[in-house]
Amino acid sequence: MEIFTQGTQALIDGLLTGGIYAMIGAGLSLIFGVMRLINFGHGDFVILGMYSAFFANKVIGFDPYLSLILVLPLAYGLGYAVHRLILSKLLGASEQTTKLATLGLGLVASNLMLLQFGAQPQTVYADYATNAFVIPIGGLEFRISQARLIAVVITAILIWGLNWMLYRTELGRAIRATAQNRLGAELQGVDTKKIYAIVFGLGMGLAVAAGVLLIPLLSATPTLGTTFTNKAFIVTILGGLGSLPGAIGGGLLLGVVESVGSSVLPLIPALNNHFGSNYRDAYGLIIFLLVLLLRPNGLFGRTVKRV
Amino acid sequence: MKNWHPMYTLALVIGILALYPLVFGQFMNFGVATLLLAGFALSWDILGGWTGQNSLGHAAFLGVGAYSITLLAELGVHPALGALAGVAISSLLAWGWGAMTFRLRGSYFTLSTIAVAEIIRLIILNESWLTGGAEGKFVPDLPKVFGFDLFDRKTEYYIVLLFVLLVLLFTHWMRYSRMGFYFKAVREDEDGAMALGVNPNKAKQLAFICSAAFTGLGGAIYAVFLQAFEPETFLLIAISIQIALLAIIGGRGTIYGPLVGAFLIAVPSEIFRAQLKEANLLVYGILIVVIVIYLPKGILGSLEYWLYRKNHPLEKGKT
Repeated sequence: MEIFTQGTQALIDGLLTGGIYAMIGAGLSLIFGVMRLINFGHGDFVILGMYSAFFANKVIGFDPYLSLILVLPLAYGLGYAVHRLILSKLLGASEQTTKLATLGLGLVASNLMLLQFGAQPQTVYADYATNAFVIPIGGLEFRISQARLIAVVITAILIWGLNWMLYRTELGRAIRATAQNRLGAELQGVDTKKIYAIVFGLGMGLAVAAGVLLIPLLSATPTLGTTFTNKAFIVTILGGLGSLPGAIGGGLLLGVVESVGSSVLPLIPALNNHFGSNYRDAYGLIIFLLVLLLRPNGLFGRTVKRV
Repeated sequence: MKNWHPMYTLALVIGILALYPLVFGQFMNFGVATLLLAGFALSWDILGGWTGQNSLGHAAFLGVGAYSITLLAELGVHPALGALAGVAISSLLAWGWGAMTFRLRGSYFTLSTIAVAEIIRLIILNESWLTGGAEGKFVPDLPKVFGFDLFDRKTEYYIVLLFVLLVLLFTHWMRYSRMGFYFKAVREDEDGAMALGVNPNKAKQLAFICSAAFTGLGGAIYAVFLQAFEPETFLLIAISIQIALLAIIGGRGTIYGPLVGAFLIAVPSEIFRAQLKEANLLVYGILIVVIVIYLPKGILGSLEYWLYRKNHPLEKGKT
């Protein structure tokens, strides 16, 4: 019985956390889908979002979630500039080379934050972070964290907006055309270099937005970047690299696996109280390896060929 | 220079490095640490440079080597045997790891190495009955080997130099061996190599095992050098990235590239240590972006290209 209640609660928490993971994965997936570029600095950009919300809160006194209005355009501009100034020089280069450049950009970002803010964790207080809606079902009570619920709603709006942009606007059409065939799009008059910069800006925006959404739930540390890069990879590999709906599915799945794994596994008597939340990050990685080896195109899709 | 044997270069390089303790006797910590990093980068290069498989999980082998020698020393095993055990366990781990992940290509392989290394880090961090958990380990008092105190910095320097020499000798031998040609064939064109009868998975796995064995040996030496360590000292992904970037910045597949890279980066990192504090990877980040854009073959690779290959008849037609 305890397993059932704990399990259901873990499922709820997992789905909510998964929403944020979905957003991290969506940015990576978008960039890969259009540019065939795996962004190894993605997690560091998530941390950048956490620190910018922290900064906006400490200096201007913004509510962390409200700071999105300010941070999102800035992140887009930064991503656009980074691509224009640095990554566009590598357009003809091999996948290995551009991968290293993004790894370097991530290192620069995380180490600059380390210089600026130091290694100690920074927290932002918001009263909705600790509040929760309590839903009584048949004598049992399940809690839904307010901050996570708001985060999931914002994620849904952003991903829906992105999808609308991709399928209902002229710019979206140009992006999709570039993703399908760069040369063909160029011949139709699409400035693909500009499209790439826009897409990198959008990807950066999604990463930073995810960071902002995480700040009330998690304290910011500059060195956490690789953890989030890992999560983004897991989400996109689960859902299929380059697919937005896949990223949503993968994110929710990762959230549930982590949450259920870390709260239900310790309750199984045979495991002797082992494999609890201290292995939280490992569950996702194991699923990731299994999917990578057994279904390299993702659980739901057939979107990408094996590279 | 027609009769210049590659071994002369090797003797020259090792000879110059052997003089370091005599000239910079007061900077021994820096010397040992940098040379060790160079050794790790050289070991990484066997897989990353010669076989073209970029691993970002080599920190796991450092950890395996370090924990092997320490845990066995606690049981009273001789440090040399402990280091050998580290090599053996690293090789075994690489064998299983490679068998599992070498069906993946390119970035997918890189991603899988990150995942496996992270899982190994979590196991070492959490199974504290064996590894001491997050508190880490102290290296117990080690017996003298041939009358040399293993905790003396100068002795350590020469042990590390021996380790670097070993890796360099191996690379020299591998370069013109059948195995080395297999490695290069797989790097240049995996499908083409397969068509010519090379089993790419086997070649990659062999390279991975050699690379892991040397890294494990280096990890054991590193543990003795540090005397006390935590899981985070070896196993963070930042360490794996650092090793790989040293080799790439220096020049992949150039034999001496990783060595050059290690010293070229270590010196500015050391000079700006006071300003950078923990952010010492900033130098790596900036350098790799610059290198990737302007010198895609790495420092030594580009130098070699400008000196010799540019006018070579086979390279003339290429851009």
